[in-house]
Amino acid sequence: MVAGSISRWVLLAYRLPREPSTPRIALWRKLRRLGAAQLQDGLVALPLDARTREQLEWLAEEVSEAGGEAAVWLAEPATAAQERALATRMAALVAKEYRVVLAAVEAARLQPEGPRRRTVARLRRELRRIGQRDYFPPPEREQARAAVAELASQLEACAERAGRAAR
Amino acid sequence: MRWATRSGVHIDRAACAWLIRRFLDPQAEFVFVADPDEVPVDATAFDMRGVELSHHGGDCTFETMLRRFGLDDPVLWDLARIVHEADLADERYDAPEAPGLDVLLRGLSMICADQEVVTIGGRLFDGLYEHRRRALLLGREPS
Repeated sequence: MVAGSISRWVLLAYRLPREPSTPRIALWRKLRRLGAAQLQDGLVALPLDARTREQLEWLAEEVSEAGGEAAVWLAEPATAAQERALATRMAALVAKEYRVVLAAVEAARLQPEGPRRRTVARLRRELRRIGQRDYFPPPEREQARAAVAELASQLEACAERAGRAAR
Repeated sequence: MRWATRSGVHIDRAACAWLIRRFLDPQAEFVFVADPDEVPVDATAFDMRGVELSHHGGDCTFETMLRRFGLDDPVLWDLARIVHEADLADERYDAPEAPGLDVLLRGLSMICADQEVVTIGGRLFDGLYEHRRRALLLGREPS
């Protein structure tokens, strides 16, 4: 999104029975994984594309199947400022997740080689997961990616040195 | 028979179309619609909100079809694991193949019309089916 320009969003309006709580929790988890912004109780938003629209449609279906009511809407914010505020809020949430990755990279520097390899694999998966809900990339994204890549290349260098020593 | 689904075919719809042609209806004819109201009366709709052959209880449509049509081939259920993760990425299953398949189908849908995505995607699924069949027989990844 270009700063200041208005883009289209897909909204899910939903109401679920208070009990049982399992579908509520399942829905909440799925919305979090998608990185949907909670506009109000029972109203979430995502920047519109084929994937986000489809995912919210499936969630609407799940809400109906759980005895609730749901509708999917396509919308535009009335002002660019409103959209900026939303994008900033969403970016702040993923930035927090990237900072957790950065902290894990710092901690991994002290790990022995074996566990460090496993940490690299785990953090790469984590970056992919966060990437799926990163619609307005904050600067922390590049920092986290670079930090994980650097940790991985140090391991490669370690392995190469060990290989040369063995020959 | 005629079958209808949403246009802009991606992984789940491509996998279902393959499943229909190969295991249910070799003469299947597919119609792609932009809105559920456009589904022809004589067509069976799938992977659309509000129809039986769609997402249910956290399953993707491919899984729903296997259940509804009683297809219990373990190879198909192994494909279902991959299709589910490529479609929903909710980590219900461990499917390292899924992100790659997702990208292949997305790329295909950028350069082809829906009918062609179904045709070419069908060959991809033929190959994937054969690969997973051999993997299950051997108990390890086939070379």
